[in-house]
Order: sequence, then C-alpha cells, then structure tokens
Amino acid sequence: MIDIYDCKLLLVDDEPELRRMVITILKQSGFKKIISAGNCSEARSLFDLEKPDVVILDVSLPDGDGFSLMRDFRASSSVPVLFLSARDEDEDRLLGLGLGADDYMTKPFLPRELVLRLHAILNRTYFPAVLSQKSKPVFFLGDIKVDLNSCEVTSQKGNATLTAKEFSLLEKLFENREKIVTGDSLCMAVWGDSLYGYENTLMVHIRRLREKIEPIPSSPQYLTTVRGLGYKLTGVTVL
Amino acid sequence: MKSMMKVLSRYVLSAAAVAVLLLVINFAVLTIWLFTEKNDKNYYSIRQTADQLTFTKEGYELTGSGRDQLERNNQWAMLLDPAGEVIWNYKLPADVPKSYSISDVAGFSRWYLKDYPVSVWRYDDGLLVVGSPKDTMWKLGIMIPQKSMDNLKFWIPLFLILNTITAIFFALMLGLRLFRSLKRISNGIQDMAEKRPVSLPINGVLGDLAAGINKASSQLILQETALNKRDSARTTWIAGISHDIRTPLAVAMGYASQLEEDEGLMKEQKDLAGIVRRQCQRIKDLVSDLNLASKLEYEMQPLRKEQASLAPLIRSVAADMINDHISEQYTLEVSVSDNAQNGQLLGDKQLLKRAVSNLILNSIKHNPEGCDIKIELSKDGENFILSVADNGTGFPKEVLERLNELKEDVDHKEGVDYKEGVDYKADVDHKADVDHEKGTETDALKEQNNHGLGLTIVCQIIKAHNGSTHFTNLTGGGCQVICYLPALNS
Repeated sequence: MIDIYDCKLLLVDDEPELRRMVITILKQSGFKKIISAGNCSEARSLFDLEKPDVVILDVSLPDGDGFSLMRDFRASSSVPVLFLSARDEDEDRLLGLGLGADDYMTKPFLPRELVLRLHAILNRTYFPAVLSQKSKPVFFLGDIKVDLNSCEVTSQKGNATLTAKEFSLLEKLFENREKIVTGDSLCMAVWGDSLYGYENTLMVHIRRLREKIEPIPSSPQYLTTVRGLGYKLTGVTVL
Repeated sequence: MKSMMKVLSRYVLSAAAVAVLLLVINFAVLTIWLFTEKNDKNYYSIRQTADQLTFTKEGYELTGSGRDQLERNNQWAMLLDPAGEVIWNYKLPADVPKSYSISDVAGFSRWYLKDYPVSVWRYDDGLLVVGSPKDTMWKLGIMIPQKSMDNLKFWIPLFLILNTITAIFFALMLGLRLFRSLKRISNGIQDMAEKRPVSLPINGVLGDLAAGINKASSQLILQETALNKRDSARTTWIAGISHDIRTPLAVAMGYASQLEEDEGLMKEQKDLAGIVRRQCQRIKDLVSDLNLASKLEYEMQPLRKEQASLAPLIRSVAADMINDHISEQYTLEVSVSDNAQNGQLLGDKQLLKRAVSNLILNSIKHNPEGCDIKIELSKDGENFILSVADNGTGFPKEVLERLNELKEDVDHKEGVDYKEGVDYKADVDHKADVDHEKGTETDALKEQNNHGLGLTIVCQIIKAHNGSTHFTNLTGGGCQVICYLPALNS
C-alpha cells in the first residue's frame, strides 16, 4: 500500500442509488478499489473474501443492523469503520461511536466531507508515521516569526521566548486563526477552568503576549480583542 | 395528607364542641324548666294557701282561690295547734290521724304523712299542713355539705373540661375510623392525579365513593394510554419520515455537490447545482427541526441535563456564529452582567445552544439589510434573563400575535400550528456569492421563511428547562426575545 488511495473500500448500504452516488464520488476523489454490498449477508461474504481496508456502513439494513455487522467484522480484524446513517439521533451516534466506530456521519452529507473524513481515518490507521512526524507549526505575523517548537519569537527587535502560558494561548489562537476564540475556551486551554475569575489574569497574559508578537503592542494588529467574547489571531502566514 | 389531618382535627374539635355545647344547653334548659315549673300558675305554694286561711267568728275559713286551688289539685289541708291537735281541716282523709306528737310532726314535715306527700307552713303559733293525693309528689330532703357547695365553682369547670376531653376522645376514635377510610380515598385521588392505577377496596361506608374513584382512574389511564399512543405514533411517524427522506436527499445532495465542483461545467450551471445542493441542505435542516420540534412537543426528546454555565455557552455560540455565518452588515454583541458570569443551570447544553443560535439566526434572517444584534445575560435571584434584541424591522404585528399564542400553546402543552421561524445558514452565507439566484430565490424565500420552526423550538427548549419566553417589539424599532431560565442555587 503506497498511499491511502490504494486502500480497498467496502460500502454497505441498501439503497442502490446511494451506493452509486458514493462510489462515483469516491472514484472521482481518487480511490480505486471500491466494493459494495446491499445487505448484511452479502457484506459478510465480501468482507471475508476481499479483506477491505475500511468499511462504510449504513445502520439500518434489510437483514440486520450496521452495529452488529461492525461487531462481527471487529471480531476478526481491526478494520476502521465509518457509519453513514439516516438516523441523526444522538443515541445512535453515541451508540455507534461507543461501539468503536471511527466516525459517524448522517445523511444527507456533503461528498467532500465524506472524502475528508475517510482520508483522516485512513491516514490515522495506515500512515500514522506521517502524522507523528508532524512538528509544531512555525508561522509569521508580518515580519515576526513565531516558532511553536522552540517557543521563540523572532523580530527586528530581537528574540523573545514564550512562557508556558503564552505558548498555550498562542497555540490555541493559532489553531483557530482568523476565528474568534472565547475567553472561556482560552482559559480552559491554559488553566483548565472557565473565564470567571481569570478575566484579569487572561488580560495580563494577552498583554505580555502582545509585547512579544505585536510591532506596536498598544494598538494590536494580529492579536485583536473581540469585545464581550474573546480574542482573534489574524494575518497569519504559515510557513 | 396534610389536608386530611386538617379535616380530621377540625372534625374532632367541632364534634367535641357540639358535645359540650349540648351539655351546656341541656343544663340551661333543665334549669329554666325547673324554674318555670315552680312559677307555674297551677303550682300554688302552701304559703299562698296559708294567706287565704283566715280566722273568723265561726272558726277558721279557707277563702276564695285558696279553696279552689285545693279543690283543683285534690289536696287536703289541716291546721294543728301547738299541742298537736287538729283544730281545722279541709277534706281530711279518714286514714289521717287527728293528733300528732312532735316526732310525728318532725317525720311528716320531712317525709310523708301516711304516704301522703305533705307540705307544712307555720300559721300563727300553729302549723298548716297541706296534703296532696298519694303518689303525686316526690319529696326529697337535700343536704349537701357546705364544703361541697363551696367547691362547686371548682367542680363545674372541671366537670365541663372532663366532658370536653371525653367528647374529644370519642370524636377522635370515631374520626380516626373515618379518617382511615378517607385516607385510602384521598391516596386514591392522589394516585389518580399522578396517573397511577388506583384500586381501592370497595367495602365500608365509603365503598361507593371508592368504586367511583376506581372507575374514574381506570378511565383516566385508558385515555392517557390512548393519548400517549397517539402522541408517540405521531412522533414516530415524523421520525420515520425524517429518516426515510435522508437517503434520497443524500443522493440528490451528493450529485448536486459533484456538479457544483465539476470543472467541466460552466459557472452558471455550477451555480444552479449549488442552489440544488443548498436547498437539499435546507430540507435536511427543516426535517431535523420538524423531528426535534415534534419530539420536544411530546416530551420524547431525551434531555441530557447537566450542570452548565450559561455565560460561556452563549459566548461560544456567538463566537461560532461570527466565525462561520455572519456577513459584514451584521454586528453581534454579547454582554453578561457580573452576577450572571458564574451562574449555572441544569440544562442540556446542545439544546440551549440551539435555542440561542436560533434566536440569532432569526434576527439575521429577518433583516437581510443587516442589523445590530445584542445578546444580554443577567440574573435576578433565581432566574437567568437572556435577552436577544436587534434594531431591525421587528416582528410584524400578526406574527407577534402568533408568537405569543404559540408561547401559550407551548406553555399549555397543546398543539402547535403557527408559521414563523428562522431560515438556515446555508442561505445566509452563500447569499452574496450567487448573484442571479437572488432574483428567483429571495421572493420564494420570503414565502418559505415563515414556515420554519426555529422560534417554536426556542419556546420548547426554554419550556423544557422550566423557563418562559417572551416576544416583544422595541419602540425604537427592532425586536426583543426574552427568555427566563431558572438558575441553580450556588
């Protein structure tokens, strides 16, 4: 197996039209080996015969349900399973995920989302090395370089090192760049508690962080305040 | 049970009061009777007889009314001189002696004279004796020690108190018996009110009552079951539809999405595919809204209530909203009062988020030209007050009326049939990038906008958290929705 597109996919759904549609989408997105089944017994025999690398399962099938089908598959292999169900009840979702499904999507879905989630599952399962190599990001805020590996901020003013709290703040903001991050979730990320009581402490840390990453800390340009809600990191260029 | 105790204590007290009152009345009547009897015109005292007895030249003579009186009562009379000899008599019976010793006099003045009840009266230095026929009068000599009479003011109240206590005791015994059977009935009614099956024993005084309650209870349960069955059938039916519609919708949405991204197509064709895709998404949202609304309506939606902080929840909804959906012409401002910052409530976070975002989306959708949305959270003692207001067009009059009707409907758990609600993000965030769909779609949108369930769901969610929702238009333009939600005591 060279890349995820070599993976063999088994699609189980009782609706032929839906099978056709999903197969078309997956083929277009690059997957080459796709097999499909319309019911449990067919799925079982195909599974034993073809040994697929990932299974996309419907929950309600004419001769059984997807949950027990997954249990059968898991008895003999650790194949990743993605549920594609018309049931949007939280119970079903939780049941599926609780039984060890890798993902649970409800119909109707965006094809692109299905493909992306499938990629994530396959990468996680078959190419974990690629993920683990991934280092912390290095990014630029204008001329200022931020390296989250070494916690260093390099600018014309010179080098500065981020403290642990500043690092946590900046990492959280960077993960959600161009988006508002509420004070609550920043506090949760840094102190493991909600905003109340940490408001002033948070402001102090943000001010110190600005001194390091903003050219003019008093009129912030990259780390902006959203009144009443939280903060936002903008103008990020990722290396 | 409390009310039953009250009934019992009132019963016992009034029964005792009745008993004591009866006693007092009896005494009074007896006294009055004895008193009036003495004053009876027919009762002619011996003193009056003595007054009528006069001494004339021919001897003693009983005149006028005195004689009539004796006549009428069949009485006889005699006058004794100091030596005990009869010196005058009137109809003296033959068996009565004519002469008496002191001991004879002492005897009959206290008791009887030859079985005749007699009364005596001093007449000059003699003694007038008037006798009634045998067996017509009782004579009782009463001697009571002075001490007893002195103690009477102590004995009478004690007597009354003892009587009261006895009366209360008996009333209590009888009351308890009644109470026991009433208690069963009362429990039965309580069970009936809480829709538990009731089967009371139908013997005893209250048997008929018990049988009636048993019957009413079984009727109620039958109705309840029928109602539940109907509600659950309706909810299951809607859930079924929303389930069945998803697979064909997935196919349509999948292909539309494919076409939208197909590089081989012209831009206009791709735009059309985009419209199909977004409409599919809208059907999906409508169907899940319908499903959720029907489940909330019939209390079939499982609530995962947990301790939750409302302020961070609202901030995160607002932040998500700004991050994902809102275009430039809308502003969203959140302010939380100090006392509400840390407040918690028992709630289903997902549903509460849904309610807040529905309210924001409602403002966005009804003001396509843009508006300023203000979310305020405060707390007054036991309740959170969540206000979502905008400075846009406000609710049209009839919509406002319907909303407040709806609120009452939801409050009273009756059927919801109204047309108002929110539209979905799909149309908000893509409105700008597809030009030519505007002409065709916005008119249609206006029609459809009024059929969403967004605000219904808000009312239902708030209701499910024991809160209330109020819709108003602001005087300066725009509308305000205020939700009261009970907070947890910190």
